[in-house]
Amino acid sequence: MRKIIHIDMDCFYAAVEVRERPELRGKPVAVGGTGRRGVLTTCSYEARAFGCRSAMPVFQALERCPQLILLPVRSERYRAESARIHAILRDYTDCIEPLSLDEAYLDVTGGDRYAWDIAREIRRRIREERHLTASAGVAPNKMLAKIASDWRKPDGQYAVPPDRVDRFLTPLPVRRIWGVGPKGEAFLREQNITTCGELQRVSRSRLREWFGKWGDELFDLCRGIDSRPVLPDRPRKSLSTERTFAEPLRDRERCAAALSALCEELRADITAMRPPRIVRTLFVKVKFADFRRTSRECAGREPDPTEYERLLEEALERSDQPVRLLGVGVRFISEEESDFRQLNLFESAPEDRRREAEPGG
Amino acid sequence: MKFKINRDHFSSGLQQVLNVVGTRATMPILSNVLLEAKEDHVLVTTTNLDLGIRCKIRAEVSAEGAITLPVRKLATIVRELPSLDVSVELVGNHQTRITSGQSIFKIMGIAGDEFPPLPGFEDQHSFVLSQADLARMLKSVSYAQSTDESRFIMNGVYFSFSDDKLTLAATDGRRLAVISREVEVTEENAGSLILPAKTVAEVERLLNQGETVQISFNDRQAAFEIGTSGEDGGGLMDSIYLVSKTVEGSYPNYRQVIPKETDLHIKVNRESLANCVRRASLVASDKNNSVKVRIANNRLEVSSSSSEFGESSDSLAVEYDGPDVSVAFNPGFMMDPLKALTRDEVIFEFKDELSPGAFRTPDNFLCVIMPLRLN
Repeated sequence: MRKIIHIDMDCFYAAVEVRERPELRGKPVAVGGTGRRGVLTTCSYEARAFGCRSAMPVFQALERCPQLILLPVRSERYRAESARIHAILRDYTDCIEPLSLDEAYLDVTGGDRYAWDIAREIRRRIREERHLTASAGVAPNKMLAKIASDWRKPDGQYAVPPDRVDRFLTPLPVRRIWGVGPKGEAFLREQNITTCGELQRVSRSRLREWFGKWGDELFDLCRGIDSRPVLPDRPRKSLSTERTFAEPLRDRERCAAALSALCEELRADITAMRPPRIVRTLFVKVKFADFRRTSRECAGREPDPTEYERLLEEALERSDQPVRLLGVGVRFISEEESDFRQLNLFESAPEDRRREAEPGG
Repeated sequence: MKFKINRDHFSSGLQQVLNVVGTRATMPILSNVLLEAKEDHVLVTTTNLDLGIRCKIRAEVSAEGAITLPVRKLATIVRELPSLDVSVELVGNHQTRITSGQSIFKIMGIAGDEFPPLPGFEDQHSFVLSQADLARMLKSVSYAQSTDESRFIMNGVYFSFSDDKLTLAATDGRRLAVISREVEVTEENAGSLILPAKTVAEVERLLNQGETVQISFNDRQAAFEIGTSGEDGGGLMDSIYLVSKTVEGSYPNYRQVIPKETDLHIKVNRESLANCVRRASLVASDKNNSVKVRIANNRLEVSSSSSEFGESSDSLAVEYDGPDVSVAFNPGFMMDPLKALTRDEVIFEFKDELSPGAFRTPDNFLCVIMPLRLN
């Protein structure tokens, strides 16, 4: 049986901002886009008390909470903080799968310590060393650990031990299952199914009939079966940059101008990557005012602006709608495809990270 | 607040502090520059809370006082002013009037007392160095810093003051650059710090304006007082003060990865080798960015090949009669130290295809680079 911990930082971006500006403590704070079409990325619990939620449009959030303090997103800052938190996590296992800047799975199977104690210690260290709070879920697999981390949020932890999986799942709303969205929930409700317990009574073939291949997965998930491994250190497969426009772009000239700015950003990001990576594909993605999206890609070795212009032209052929979001990106060749492997200086890793540089000559 | 100032002095002062200000500051006041008029000068300060810079510009002050103004806008305006004579005056309601020739600007600001003060600090170690020396040392190692944010400890240059020398080190885990020079270090003054990459870049940019630089630091912060030369200092007075957070944590034990000096080494002209590597690498593909270095029979041969472009080979005469050694490297890792150094000759050490190569110079410089292994 595996021991999986899901660590989830409590309203991470907002918490970082509040930590750095103590005068914001106790106030409704949100981090998000500042334009008219901007949406909240994260908001503090004080803001949630007013009904603000992440992904809520700014104007709507301000209607619910006029005194909301809205701060711009400082991704670089959150990335740096996330790296420091990951350094703490790495003291417990190397098998860490970051889901985003504020969430990660840890596989602590095989250690002699209780996963519960490890989770508690990680949360204590994050609180003491980084002055932030995290919630944790402990379970035999990723799906249950993720649900559990939400159970005592904020600043709490919850465990679903193997012998209590059934008792935990039976009353659990289907919406909690990874992959069941509002549509899936509505469909199941029409079949008089609202909990995992009820879902468990549906046959595999019926689920397959309803949901296709995904039905097979759902059959397992509602029984708490999830064998997805924790995948450590996934090397980045792609890199992209995009922008949402407060006023959708109507003409091609403005799209082209926005595109060239994005290309420059992308080029800088690629240049800054260490170790350097090799580009295999260029892509453009477009979201139109009617929320339909499209993307075009071609082979390429570097982020060539003229190639991107061509891709954009092709993408714009597909709709007469104004452009709401524009993005450019590249996909990389994976390291295994290269003939050479770069050797590292600190190959014998983990203990080196902690060993102090000795004073003196 | 009211003062008269030379346009070019004002402009160059703003240029010294401009880089600190990000384009997306959290607090509006962090996009501003603090102007403080006192006695015979104006203090110009910016900060992003991690890094702050202050310089002092000569001015004719008729009324002391302070205001903060949006720094990018102000720098653009000052640069465009028509006359060398500029007067700046606070006209109430946080508005500042700037006049020069026929031009009049009224700029909205934020009160000076709302500006977060640059931290002063105690319990500090303090050293005075020559600016030229520090600039040269930083240039010799700074290219090796890691930019990978997940290895934040390596996102900076490590400074160690101990055993009567200053040692600077930088590494990204694939290469390591170290340089040291003699500095008087008393027992209680000894210490170390990791200077963040952004601060390293700013210090490198600001150095070489005068003779000396004073470094002070404690566990969390480091400050640099960079002397400016009186005459052609562009109106800058005394020194530029830069204070920065340091990277907290223990720097990796780089000494253990430094290879022992070996018998297998060659003395080589720095520029010739750099040119050789650069030419050979022209046919390397992005996918296999590598050059092969072969040393045998008094020759150093650098070659490269790719299925896309073809092959290249270039060579240099060297004094070497040891065993035939071939090893592959990322060409950038070879060229970076060669470009940063100034001596004509460098020592290149090697052992075998899986062992690191190293550049050394007699002035205590070392750059270790890990090879590429054929998959």
